Amino acid sequence: MTQVTRPTPERLDAFTVPSQPGNERLALARVAGTVQGRGLSDARLERLKTAVAEATMNAIEHGNGNRPEIPVEVEVTRSGHDITVAISDQGGETHPGHGDQEEPDLLKKLDGDQSPRGWGLFLIRNMVDAMDVTTDGQRHTIWLTMRTTGAAHDEHV
Amino acid sequence: MTSMCEATTRALPGAAVIELAGEVDGSAAAVLTAAYERAVTASADPADLGTVVLDFAAVDYINSTGIALIVSVLARARAERRKVVASGLSAHYREIFDITRLSDFIELFPDLDGAVSQLGTA
Repeated sequence: MTQVTRPTPERLDAFTVPSQPGNERLALARVAGTVQGRGLSDARLERLKTAVAEATMNAIEHGNGNRPEIPVEVEVTRSGHDITVAISDQGGETHPGHGDQEEPDLLKKLDGDQSPRGWGLFLIRNMVDAMDVTTDGQRHTIWLTMRTTGAAHDEHV
Repeated sequence: MTSMCEATTRALPGAAVIELAGEVDGSAAAVLTAAYERAVTASADPADLGTVVLDFAAVDYINSTGIALIVSVLARARAERRKVVASGLSAHYREIFDITRLSDFIELFPDLDGAVSQLGTA
Protein backbone atom coordinates (compact mmCIF):
# COMPACT_ATOMS: atom_id res chain seq x y z
CA MET A 1 0.00 0.00 0.00
CA THR A 2 1.30 3.42 -0.91
CA GLN A 3 1.33 5.84 1.94
CA VAL A 4 0.07 9.32 1.15
CA THR A 5 1.83 12.00 3.11
CA ARG A 6 -0.26 15.06 3.67
CA PRO A 7 1.64 18.29 4.22
CA THR A 8 1.42 19.73 7.71
CA PRO A 9 -0.62 22.93 7.62
CA GLU A 10 1.53 26.01 7.87
CA ARG A 11 0.05 28.73 10.04
CA LEU A 12 0.21 32.03 8.18
CA ASP A 13 -1.57 34.18 10.75
CA ALA A 14 -3.77 34.01 13.83
CA PHE A 15 -5.59 36.88 15.47
CA THR A 16 -8.78 37.87 17.25
CA VAL A 17 -11.29 40.67 16.83
CA PRO A 18 -13.76 41.88 19.47
CA SER A 19 -17.37 40.91 18.76
CA GLN A 20 -18.59 44.32 17.65
CA PRO A 21 -20.56 44.96 14.45
CA GLY A 22 -18.27 46.31 11.78
CA ASN A 23 -15.18 44.42 12.94
CA GLU A 24 -15.62 41.99 10.05
CA ARG A 25 -13.87 44.69 8.02
CA LEU A 26 -10.79 44.31 10.24
CA ALA A 27 -10.79 40.56 9.70
CA LEU A 28 -11.15 40.73 5.93
CA ALA A 29 -8.42 43.35 5.59
CA ARG A 30 -5.98 41.36 7.67
CA VAL A 31 -6.73 38.06 5.91
CA ALA A 32 -6.39 39.79 2.53
CA GLY A 33 -2.99 41.13 3.53
CA THR A 34 -1.91 37.69 4.69
CA VAL A 35 -2.91 35.73 1.58
CA GLN A 36 -2.08 38.35 -1.04
CA GLY A 37 0.66 37.12 -3.34
CA ARG A 38 0.12 33.48 -2.37
CA GLY A 39 -1.46 32.28 -5.62
CA LEU A 40 -5.00 33.63 -5.56
CA SER A 41 -6.08 35.80 -8.49
CA ASP A 42 -7.57 39.19 -7.68
CA ALA A 43 -11.08 37.89 -8.38
CA ARG A 44 -10.65 34.88 -6.10
CA LEU A 45 -9.13 37.04 -3.40
CA GLU A 46 -12.25 39.23 -3.57
CA ARG A 47 -14.41 36.13 -3.11
CA LEU A 48 -12.40 35.02 -0.10
CA LYS A 49 -12.67 38.50 1.39
CA THR A 50 -16.45 38.45 1.04
CA ALA A 51 -16.63 34.95 2.60
CA VAL A 52 -14.39 35.98 5.51
CA ALA A 53 -16.46 39.11 6.13
CA GLU A 54 -19.75 37.20 6.11
CA ALA A 55 -18.44 34.40 8.35
CA THR A 56 -16.99 36.93 10.79
CA MET A 57 -20.29 38.84 10.83
CA ASN A 58 -22.11 35.61 11.68
CA ALA A 59 -19.60 34.86 14.43
CA ILE A 60 -19.91 38.35 15.91
CA GLU A 61 -23.70 38.51 15.75
CA HIS A 62 -25.00 34.95 16.02
CA GLY A 63 -22.09 33.19 17.72
CA ASN A 64 -20.98 35.72 20.29
CA GLY A 65 -24.12 37.84 20.52
CA ASN A 66 -22.34 41.15 19.76
CA ARG A 67 -20.50 40.91 23.11
CA PRO A 68 -17.14 42.66 22.58
CA GLU A 69 -15.52 40.81 25.49
CA ILE A 70 -15.88 37.51 23.61
CA PRO A 71 -13.38 37.53 20.74
CA VAL A 72 -13.83 36.02 17.31
CA GLU A 73 -10.74 33.93 16.54
CA VAL A 74 -9.33 33.85 13.03
CA GLU A 75 -6.59 31.51 11.83
CA VAL A 76 -5.12 31.37 8.33
CA THR A 77 -3.25 28.26 7.25
CA ARG A 78 -1.79 26.86 4.06
CA SER A 79 -1.59 23.16 3.28
CA GLY A 80 -0.28 22.24 -0.14
CA HIS A 81 -2.35 24.26 -2.61
CA ASP A 82 -5.10 25.00 -0.09
CA ILE A 83 -5.46 28.20 1.87
CA THR A 84 -7.89 27.80 4.76
CA VAL A 85 -9.37 30.46 7.00
CA ALA A 86 -10.90 29.17 10.25
CA ILE A 87 -13.25 31.55 12.06
CA SER A 88 -14.33 30.53 15.57
CA ASP A 89 -16.88 31.83 18.03
CA GLN A 90 -18.56 30.55 21.18
CA GLY A 91 -21.98 29.84 19.69
CA GLY A 92 -21.81 26.09 20.34
CA GLU A 93 -24.30 23.57 18.97
CA THR A 94 -27.14 26.04 19.05
CA HIS A 95 -25.38 28.41 16.67
CA PRO A 96 -28.21 29.91 14.66
CA GLY A 97 -25.85 31.06 11.94
CA HIS A 98 -26.02 27.74 10.13
CA GLY A 99 -28.22 24.71 9.84
CA ASP A 100 -31.54 24.21 8.15
CA GLN A 101 -31.98 27.71 6.92
CA GLU A 102 -34.29 28.16 3.99
CA GLU A 103 -32.36 28.77 0.77
CA PRO A 104 -32.74 32.42 -0.20
CA ASP A 105 -35.23 32.87 -3.00
CA LEU A 106 -35.22 36.35 -4.50
CA LEU A 107 -38.70 36.13 -5.96
CA LYS A 108 -40.12 35.10 -2.57
CA LYS A 109 -38.26 37.99 -0.98
CA LEU A 110 -39.64 40.45 -3.53
CA ASP A 111 -43.15 39.12 -2.98
CA GLY A 112 -42.79 39.41 0.81
CA ASP A 113 -42.90 35.65 1.35
CA GLN A 114 -39.34 35.53 2.71
CA SER A 115 -37.29 38.03 4.70
CA PRO A 116 -35.04 40.25 2.54
CA ARG A 117 -32.16 39.04 4.72
CA GLY A 118 -30.60 35.58 4.94
CA TRP A 119 -27.90 35.88 2.26
CA GLY A 120 -24.82 35.34 4.44
CA LEU A 121 -24.28 31.58 4.29
CA PHE A 122 -25.50 31.50 0.70
CA LEU A 123 -22.80 33.99 -0.27
CA ILE A 124 -20.12 32.13 1.69
CA ARG A 125 -20.95 28.81 0.00
CA ASN A 126 -20.79 30.43 -3.42
CA MET A 127 -17.57 32.33 -2.80
CA VAL A 128 -15.21 29.58 -1.62
CA ASP A 129 -14.11 26.20 -2.98
CA ALA A 130 -15.02 24.38 0.23
CA MET A 131 -16.85 25.24 3.43
CA ASP A 132 -17.08 23.15 6.57
CA VAL A 133 -18.52 23.74 10.02
CA THR A 134 -17.38 22.05 13.23
CA THR A 135 -18.47 22.35 16.83
CA ASP A 136 -16.44 21.37 19.89
CA GLY A 137 -18.37 22.19 23.02
CA GLN A 138 -19.11 25.88 22.83
CA ARG A 139 -16.48 26.45 20.18
CA HIS A 140 -18.05 26.79 16.74
CA THR A 141 -15.76 27.07 13.73
CA ILE A 142 -16.39 27.68 10.06
CA TRP A 143 -13.61 26.60 7.71
CA LEU A 144 -13.24 28.39 4.38
CA THR A 145 -10.89 26.87 1.83
CA MET A 146 -9.63 28.26 -1.45
CA ARG A 147 -7.36 26.28 -3.76
CA THR A 148 -4.57 28.24 -5.31
CA THR A 149 -4.50 26.11 -8.48
CA GLY A 150 -7.12 24.34 -10.61
CA ALA A 151 -10.01 25.70 -8.60
CA ALA A 152 -13.58 24.80 -9.48
CA HIS A 153 -14.84 28.31 -8.93
CA ASP A 154 -12.31 30.03 -11.15
CA GLU A 155 -13.13 33.18 -13.06
CA HIS A 156 -16.25 33.14 -15.12
CA VAL A 157 -17.14 36.79 -15.08
CA MET B 1 -23.33 52.08 14.28
CA THR B 2 -22.35 55.14 12.24
CA SER B 3 -23.15 54.76 8.58
CA MET B 4 -20.24 54.82 6.16
CA CYS B 5 -22.66 55.20 3.29
CA GLU B 6 -23.59 58.45 1.56
CA ALA B 7 -26.22 58.98 -1.08
CA THR B 8 -26.92 61.88 -3.40
CA THR B 9 -30.08 62.06 -5.44
CA ARG B 10 -30.90 63.89 -8.64
CA ALA B 11 -33.99 63.97 -10.76
CA LEU B 12 -34.10 63.38 -14.50
CA PRO B 13 -37.16 63.37 -16.73
CA GLY B 14 -39.08 60.25 -15.69
CA ALA B 15 -36.20 58.92 -13.64
CA ALA B 16 -34.10 59.49 -10.55
CA VAL B 17 -30.44 58.75 -9.94
CA ILE B 18 -29.19 57.69 -6.50
CA GLU B 19 -25.41 57.87 -6.38
CA LEU B 20 -24.08 55.81 -3.48
CA ALA B 21 -20.64 56.10 -1.94
CA GLY B 22 -18.81 54.17 0.77
CA GLU B 23 -20.16 50.99 2.33
CA VAL B 24 -23.55 49.42 1.68
CA ASP B 25 -24.10 47.40 4.83
CA GLY B 26 -26.63 47.29 7.65
CA SER B 27 -25.75 50.81 8.72
CA ALA B 28 -26.84 52.12 5.32
CA ALA B 29 -30.54 51.32 5.82
CA ALA B 30 -31.63 54.84 6.80
CA VAL B 31 -29.44 56.44 4.12
CA LEU B 32 -30.82 54.25 1.35
CA THR B 33 -34.44 54.61 2.46
CA ALA B 34 -34.11 58.38 2.71
CA ALA B 35 -32.45 58.55 -0.70
CA TYR B 36 -35.31 56.62 -2.27
CA GLU B 37 -37.83 58.94 -0.60
CA ARG B 38 -35.94 61.97 -1.90
CA ALA B 39 -35.83 60.45 -5.37
CA VAL B 40 -39.60 60.10 -5.38
CA THR B 41 -40.38 63.50 -3.89
CA ALA B 42 -37.83 65.32 -6.07
CA SER B 43 -39.55 64.13 -9.21
CA ALA B 44 -41.64 66.72 -11.01
CA ASP B 45 -44.40 64.12 -11.08
CA PRO B 46 -43.77 61.15 -8.74
CA ALA B 47 -46.41 59.17 -10.60
CA ASP B 48 -44.28 59.56 -13.71
CA LEU B 49 -41.09 58.33 -12.07
CA GLY B 50 -40.48 55.16 -14.06
CA THR B 51 -36.87 54.29 -13.37
CA VAL B 52 -34.57 54.49 -10.37
CA VAL B 53 -30.86 54.30 -11.18
CA LEU B 54 -28.60 53.05 -8.38
CA ASP B 55 -25.01 54.03 -9.06
CA PHE B 56 -22.37 52.03 -7.17
CA ALA B 57 -19.26 53.51 -8.77
CA ALA B 58 -18.04 54.98 -5.47
CA VAL B 59 -19.07 51.97 -3.34
CA ASP B 60 -16.19 49.86 -2.08
CA TYR B 61 -18.03 47.33 0.08
CA ILE B 62 -21.40 45.57 -0.05
CA ASN B 63 -22.24 42.81 2.41
CA SER B 64 -25.18 40.45 2.81
CA THR B 65 -27.15 43.01 4.81
CA GLY B 66 -26.51 45.53 2.06
CA ILE B 67 -27.84 43.01 -0.45
CA ALA B 68 -30.96 42.76 1.73
CA LEU B 69 -31.35 46.54 1.60
CA ILE B 70 -31.08 46.49 -2.19
CA VAL B 71 -33.72 43.73 -2.26
CA SER B 72 -35.99 45.95 -0.14
CA VAL B 73 -35.52 48.92 -2.49
CA LEU B 74 -36.25 46.68 -5.47
CA ALA B 75 -39.35 45.24 -3.80
CA ARG B 76 -40.70 48.71 -3.08
CA ALA B 77 -39.93 49.95 -6.58
CA ARG B 78 -41.65 46.94 -8.14
CA ALA B 79 -44.69 47.47 -5.95
CA GLU B 80 -44.77 51.07 -7.19
CA ARG B 81 -44.28 49.89 -10.80
CA ARG B 82 -40.85 51.40 -11.13
CA LYS B 83 -37.86 49.85 -12.81
CA VAL B 84 -34.50 49.71 -11.03
CA VAL B 85 -31.22 49.71 -12.93
CA ALA B 86 -27.70 49.72 -11.54
CA SER B 87 -24.38 51.06 -12.73
CA GLY B 88 -20.77 51.15 -11.66
CA LEU B 89 -20.59 47.77 -9.94
CA SER B 90 -17.16 46.16 -9.80
CA ALA B 91 -16.72 42.75 -11.43
CA HIS B 92 -16.91 41.12 -7.99
CA TYR B 93 -20.22 42.72 -7.09
CA ARG B 94 -21.63 42.07 -10.56
CA GLU B 95 -20.91 38.41 -9.86
CA ILE B 96 -22.76 38.69 -6.55
CA PHE B 97 -25.72 40.32 -8.32
CA ASP B 98 -25.68 37.33 -10.70
CA ILE B 99 -25.41 34.73 -7.92
CA THR B 100 -28.25 36.28 -5.93
CA ARG B 101 -30.29 36.72 -9.17
CA LEU B 102 -30.59 40.45 -8.52
CA SER B 103 -29.35 40.92 -12.08
CA ASP B 104 -32.49 39.11 -13.31
CA PHE B 105 -34.51 42.04 -11.99
CA ILE B 106 -32.02 44.93 -12.12
CA GLU B 107 -30.41 45.72 -15.45
CA LEU B 108 -26.70 46.36 -14.99
CA PHE B 109 -24.68 49.00 -16.82
CA PRO B 110 -20.92 49.46 -16.66
CA ASP B 111 -21.24 53.14 -15.81
CA LEU B 112 -23.77 55.84 -14.98
CA ASP B 113 -23.58 57.46 -18.43
CA GLY B 114 -24.57 54.15 -20.00
CA ALA B 115 -27.47 53.73 -17.60
CA VAL B 116 -28.75 57.27 -18.11
CA SER B 117 -28.38 57.16 -21.88
CA GLN B 118 -30.81 54.24 -22.14
CA LEU B 119 -33.52 56.07 -20.22
CA GLY B 120 -36.48 56.68 -22.44
CA THR B 121 -35.32 54.09 -24.95
CA ALA B 122 -36.84 51.10 -23.12
